[in-house]
Amino acid sequence: MDPVDPVTEEKPAFVEPGSPWIAPGHSYGSVSDRIAGVVLGRTRKGWIFGFAIAFFLFLVLNYGITMLFFVGVGKFGINIPVAWAFAITNFVWWIGIGHAGTLISAFLLLMRQKWRTSINRFAEAMTIFAVACAGMFPLIHMGRPWLFYWLFPYPDTMGVWPQFRSPLVWDVFAVSTYFTVSLLFWYVGLVPDLATLRDKAKNKLAKVAYGFFSMGWRGSVKHWRRHEVASLLLAGIATPLVVSVHTVVSFDFTIAIVPGWHSTIFPPYFVAGAIYSGFAMVIMLAIPLRKWFHLEDFITIRHLNNMGKLLLATGMIVTYSYVMEAFMAFYSADKFESYMMLNRMTGPYAIVFWTLIACNIAIPMTFLWSYRIRTNTVALFLIAGVAQVGMWLERFVIIVTSLHRDFVPSSWGQFYPTPTDWEVLFGSLGLFFCLFYLFARLLPSISIFEMRDLVHKTAEEAGVIAGAAE
Amino acid sequence: MAKHPIYGLMAEFDNTHDLVAAAHRVREEGYRQIDAYTPFPVEGLEETVGFRLPLLPIITFIGGLTGCIGGFILQYWPNVIGYPLDIGGKPYDSWPSFIPITFELTILGAALFCVFGMFFLCGLPMPYHPVFNVPRFKLASHDRFFLCIKSKDPKFSLDETKRFLEGLNAREVSIVPV
Amino acid sequence: MNSDQSFMLEQTGNAQRKALGVGVVCLALCVIELVIHPTQFLRSYLFGEVFWLGIGLSCMGILMLHHLVSGRWGFVLRRPLEAAAKTLCWMAIFFIPIIVGMHHLYIWSRPADVAADPVIQQKTFYLNTPFFIARQIVYWVLWILLAYFLNRWSTRQDGGSDPESQRRLRNLSGPGLVIYGFTVTFAGFDWVMSLEPHFFSTIYGMMFTVTEAVGGMAFITIVAYLLSQQEPMSEVIQPSQFHDFGNLLLVFTLLWAYLSFSQYLIIWSGNLQNEIPWYVSRTNRQWAWVALALVIFHFAVPFLLLLQRFITFRKQYLVGVASLLFIMSIFDLFWLMAPAYNPKGPQFHWSDWVALVGLGGIFVAIFVSQLKTKPLVPLHDPTFAGVLQHE
Repeated sequence: MDPVDPVTEEKPAFVEPGSPWIAPGHSYGSVSDRIAGVVLGRTRKGWIFGFAIAFFLFLVLNYGITMLFFVGVGKFGINIPVAWAFAITNFVWWIGIGHAGTLISAFLLLMRQKWRTSINRFAEAMTIFAVACAGMFPLIHMGRPWLFYWLFPYPDTMGVWPQFRSPLVWDVFAVSTYFTVSLLFWYVGLVPDLATLRDKAKNKLAKVAYGFFSMGWRGSVKHWRRHEVASLLLAGIATPLVVSVHTVVSFDFTIAIVPGWHSTIFPPYFVAGAIYSGFAMVIMLAIPLRKWFHLEDFITIRHLNNMGKLLLATGMIVTYSYVMEAFMAFYSADKFESYMMLNRMTGPYAIVFWTLIACNIAIPMTFLWSYRIRTNTVALFLIAGVAQVGMWLERFVIIVTSLHRDFVPSSWGQFYPTPTDWEVLFGSLGLFFCLFYLFARLLPSISIFEMRDLVHKTAEEAGVIAGAAE
Repeated sequence: MAKHPIYGLMAEFDNTHDLVAAAHRVREEGYRQIDAYTPFPVEGLEETVGFRLPLLPIITFIGGLTGCIGGFILQYWPNVIGYPLDIGGKPYDSWPSFIPITFELTILGAALFCVFGMFFLCGLPMPYHPVFNVPRFKLASHDRFFLCIKSKDPKFSLDETKRFLEGLNAREVSIVPV
Repeated sequence: MNSDQSFMLEQTGNAQRKALGVGVVCLALCVIELVIHPTQFLRSYLFGEVFWLGIGLSCMGILMLHHLVSGRWGFVLRRPLEAAAKTLCWMAIFFIPIIVGMHHLYIWSRPADVAADPVIQQKTFYLNTPFFIARQIVYWVLWILLAYFLNRWSTRQDGGSDPESQRRLRNLSGPGLVIYGFTVTFAGFDWVMSLEPHFFSTIYGMMFTVTEAVGGMAFITIVAYLLSQQEPMSEVIQPSQFHDFGNLLLVFTLLWAYLSFSQYLIIWSGNLQNEIPWYVSRTNRQWAWVALALVIFHFAVPFLLLLQRFITFRKQYLVGVASLLFIMSIFDLFWLMAPAYNPKGPQFHWSDWVALVGLGGIFVAIFVSQLKTKPLVPLHDPTFAGVLQHE
């Protein structure tokens, strides 16, 4: 036989120094071992410690919800006129956090951004867990939560249907679609990695479990091709979906005519705010994750810089929206609108409003312009944390200050949170982190096959190996 | 199957370049029943294994269309025909309010068809497959590249095919038992 | 490497002179209307001016976006975008008639009308003549400065004398986009929204900016197509880049539809007396046909076409879609503005279209003359060399 090709002395791909998105020295095997090693290795003490704290908070959540179901929604501090408070604030906050994950995995895939590879898996996981936390709140704040299924359109014996003109019904569809699609997208991406774990696992139980969920993935050419097409299609589907979900959430407010809620900028403003808090959460998860699991090679400083820039961009849109809201409140010449804005700035909740401005605009929008701050992990983590608090306060301000003084002064009121409110808020953090700890322990936090692909492409570009296609 | 108690022959490569070159050679030689297994998507292999136009976009589109039409009817029928109710003086056919759910169900339909269509086309889940009988096949999900010529190929003959594969710069050629 | 000289625009087929001729003739015709019916002249003139300013402004926005994200799509578009941004320096002169004649256009600037309208009286803190003029001066100063420096530093880069140019352009573009967003928003309130002073909508500025961006991106796609018809650009602009332009058009179209529908659904559901009249005039009687045409030809048709790869990869098809969007963005602006004067239905005044063509002629003439001043691609951009090699 003649030689196949002049270039027979092919080396396996490895990463040369100077490549942007992955540390030098890595090969297909080394990235696989490193990421899978986190999952297949022993449980570390730090993990048990962290999980215990999260689990404690989760128990707090269980306590709060149990009391709530036992006694009734009166356990929350809500009453007329403020009938929505912490629960809906938490709902909007959590679902907003979820948005960044989908955006990283879907939108950045469509944009062919290579830097998404090492963060998309855990960002998607974050989405699913955040949506799970969010979905809980509309249910538990109902007076009779056991009748939640009335929201679904099913042919009941009386022939009555849900009110399809109500944004609360839109929410049911939006959130359940979002959860389903995120889960599918995540699972599709996981299948090849589950196959890797199946092949690497020594433990019998792990072999069976990963084998079961990898469904017999063989990595054949046809599998990969269809997998790629499906990923692109799902990305194309998920990008408008993610925008629509928070748009529908914003409709929960705007479709009403309450001053402070009925504002046309809410859809894009809520979407930008969601992405803002979501990226803050991605940063807050990425920084410890890379440190504890020694994944600095894959989640580099440049990744953090880019995420900082995205935080800045979405934060600017949020700032713009605040300016529009404030301007239009006075420009409208509507006394309820202008009073609402004045009341936000100077009324009983003024301190919350100004804290929110400090957390969302003043602090992040000042410091994030600086490259040095964006690439300093401690500073970036703190700024992301501040923005995260700010975004929670934003939803609180929108909901509570708009409700507590609307049209008729005789029905004005005040909202004070109760212990149950706090239990459920911090408890939901416990649920989220429990799920996230389990995920980081049981599943690869970084997409292994995409990292192998990144090694390949990086090596190809650097000329370490020749291009595959002739 | 009685004629060939084996599934095929599997050649192992340690880089994509050799794999793609070998796959092309195999194709040129006249083999048609071939498949390649890689740890990540490798370009330039589709035509060698005879991959046709992907059906998936069409399946996804059908799913989206079903969700879209179904979603609108789901709201239009009860509000206009089944159980019309005057709520807040809004028209029965409040089409602007029906758009969000129609949109969500379009997305849901498209996504479900896309994912399950993909698994169906890939033949997954498949609990057993002969290629897993090759001990070194484990590395197909790690850092090695495999090329398999199936025994049902009319040109397949154990010795000749084996010799041919060995000449293609393969690290190892092994028999895949059924 | 190709030399700078070979990338200079030479064969323009007298485009500049012809455009200038059309512009001057049409504007001269408009003077007739000015004499007969000054209010109608100013309405037509405002329509044309806002449309062409929108093209220049949105091109400047897209240019700054490119400096920030530096996608491959932007390198071949950069010089046309710079030229379009530079037109702002000249188009400022053509804005003066609007300031002079603003009392014909805006109810809130006429004391007698304001005295009769208690709602407008409460808005005079913003809607008053001196503040309006002051705002225009601020916008124009900022826009001209942005356009000037975006061009100047890019020229310096061509000279190769300033290695810092790229960094400077990037550092300007971040804050520049913020300035752009706010100024265009408030300009939209001033020029268009305040034609109906009772109406207010917080999303309006964003919607106005994106409306302009659809027109701007369509314009620049058409320009790229024309440039790619001849040497040397025919070798530089690849089908994959037209695919990128198509995707950008798709993004802007979707964004336009999203923002417009959001505003519609919210105002339709709220049904409040200070908002809904805006849509009552725009979606009833004859205007409903314009609205329907916008839904179909500004959204549905381009959306479905731009999803097809066989269209976005072929420039002759893509330019068709871009032209459709360009024309529809004219109608979109018309639908935003004209119901303020003719709530019952569109009335076609000849001067609307003559003024639009006239100002367009001037715009194109300035655009072509600016395009001739520099090589058509930023050859000395350090990242550009890589782009050429990849093709």
